[in-house]
Amino acid sequence: MTSLHSPRRQLPRLLAWLLLGLGLLYPYQPLQSAIAQGSKPVVHVFLQLDAKSSAVEKTLQEHLPDLAITVFGRYRDFEEGLSNGHPDAVVSITPVLEQRGKTASLQGQRGGKSAEPYILASVNQPLEGSLAGKTIGVVDLLGRDGTQAFLNGLLKATDVKIRRVAKVEDLLPLLEFSAADGIVFPSSMLARLLERTRLAIKTRDLPGAPVGLSAVAVLNPAARDIVVKSFQRLDTPTKRLLGIDSWSVP
Amino acid sequence: MIGGKNMNWRVASGSALLLWLAGCATTGSEQGAPTQNAAAIVDPPPRTGARAILIAMPNSPNFVEVRRSLVSEVQKNFNIQTFVVGPATKADDLAAAIKAADPVCVVLMNNATISLYRHYQMANPTVTTPPAVLLMASFIEELQSQVRRATGIAYEVPGVTAFVHLRSVITTPINRVGVIYRPVFRNFLERQTSLAARELVDLISVSVPNDVTAAGLREALHNLAQVHRVDAVWMLNDNALVRDEEFVDDAWRAELTEARVPLIVGVSNFVEPSSPLGTLAVVPDHEALGLQAANLIFDLSDNDWQVENHAVELPLSVKTVVDIKLVRANFGLQPDALKHIDKALE
Repeated sequence: MTSLHSPRRQLPRLLAWLLLGLGLLYPYQPLQSAIAQGSKPVVHVFLQLDAKSSAVEKTLQEHLPDLAITVFGRYRDFEEGLSNGHPDAVVSITPVLEQRGKTASLQGQRGGKSAEPYILASVNQPLEGSLAGKTIGVVDLLGRDGTQAFLNGLLKATDVKIRRVAKVEDLLPLLEFSAADGIVFPSSMLARLLERTRLAIKTRDLPGAPVGLSAVAVLNPAARDIVVKSFQRLDTPTKRLLGIDSWSVP
Repeated sequence: MIGGKNMNWRVASGSALLLWLAGCATTGSEQGAPTQNAAAIVDPPPRTGARAILIAMPNSPNFVEVRRSLVSEVQKNFNIQTFVVGPATKADDLAAAIKAADPVCVVLMNNATISLYRHYQMANPTVTTPPAVLLMASFIEELQSQVRRATGIAYEVPGVTAFVHLRSVITTPINRVGVIYRPVFRNFLERQTSLAARELVDLISVSVPNDVTAAGLREALHNLAQVHRVDAVWMLNDNALVRDEEFVDDAWRAELTEARVPLIVGVSNFVEPSSPLGTLAVVPDHEALGLQAANLIFDLSDNDWQVENHAVELPLSVKTVVDIKLVRANFGLQPDALKHIDKALE
């Protein structure tokens, strides 16, 4: 039986430690892309959609066979995935990409527009007038500070109290439990909310600028062609799932 | 398949039993069994100048998931110290951990941990204890008055959340939901009735004695289905109502199979196409619960830790498990329903 501590076995390990110490060998190479290793480009998706992230992931995996798709339902997981998963491309809405300093390679459009208004919904009567001191629910898209800034921008107010939720479907309980005075979400989500609830929902448009729709940012130039072409080839129902009907190249 | 059914029953009743052992029966919740050889919990490195939050909790999967999400949110603002509570932990041990951490807030997970904290407070009536956030325990709304400087998030999934989810899964209308309860659940159900009314659901509650038999329970269910003509039945996670496999077979399965009424359960193992019982399970989303707890802590911090003014919150986020086979056969599946279900079983 060979001893686990035999000098012959220890030699490679010693060499590795020596190289590590000299900085010549990295145990982990964060910039090494998936394509360089001959595998599919890795694409991370983080969107606020009318479907469970597992359902979106399954659909995208079926329709984008040349890409390795992971769909994140929550901001923290997406953030962690960006740090540890080193994606070749990211799909999200414009504010999320901008927060990370990423530029869209493909911009989603719906009805010829690349952005959509967000609305403020409440029960029984619209939340008119000053929102000072009001509690407003919103999906956690950008972390605590980022989401607060995003909401302030949409509402053109700085003194609202934010209630972040993990998923878009968690906004309705805020109204059912009277845990918030109003909730903010993309106007395209209103129909689904009204389908789900019997509450008397009233809405008002928000003074802030419309928010960019789903966009693809390629982080690894070597993956650009395959990522862009794959998303451009998506069929209409899958694009609709992403909240868009066409792509444009900015 | 008998084997599968037995295994399913064992896990489901095990979950319910855990809730019982935790201090009292509860509704709409499930807790992971304590893990043998659970991995050690590692706190983030402390930073100079940051105040500490002490998290007292059992080291088992659901608690660990809530902690992970909570810590990822608050670790930029607070140092974290985790104190693992086990069967041998005493109130003095918890007191020593609190003294050592000098926390600005304590997070107490499960009934046993909260009970230790109450003993610590009772033994030290003049000591100012830190504000406490109570999580993952039964009837936190009732517990709040028994713990000084405490608030928290209820663990029971509100019925209205389940009813709204059921509406988005099945095509048959859901306007009247029946529930069987023992007297200890009366206050809980009063709150549920008014919440359900907001979504125009009429909650029909039928009381049964503590020692209800399977025949008595079946009669109550029959009454709900045939006399009150309910559109669905909501099963509370009360051990006395799901005593054992035979009891469940004789009461719940027998009556609901005949009546063809969808059953909402609070334990996912009761949804199993190979031995149909529950149509929809609605269980807490632990990761989202961690985010909600973090938000609560930030709120308290912004309000100078005035916990007394902060009512116990209801849980906002759930996960759903659906017996699609049962739905398709009896109640009709809503178009697009599969997009909104966490786990679809066939």
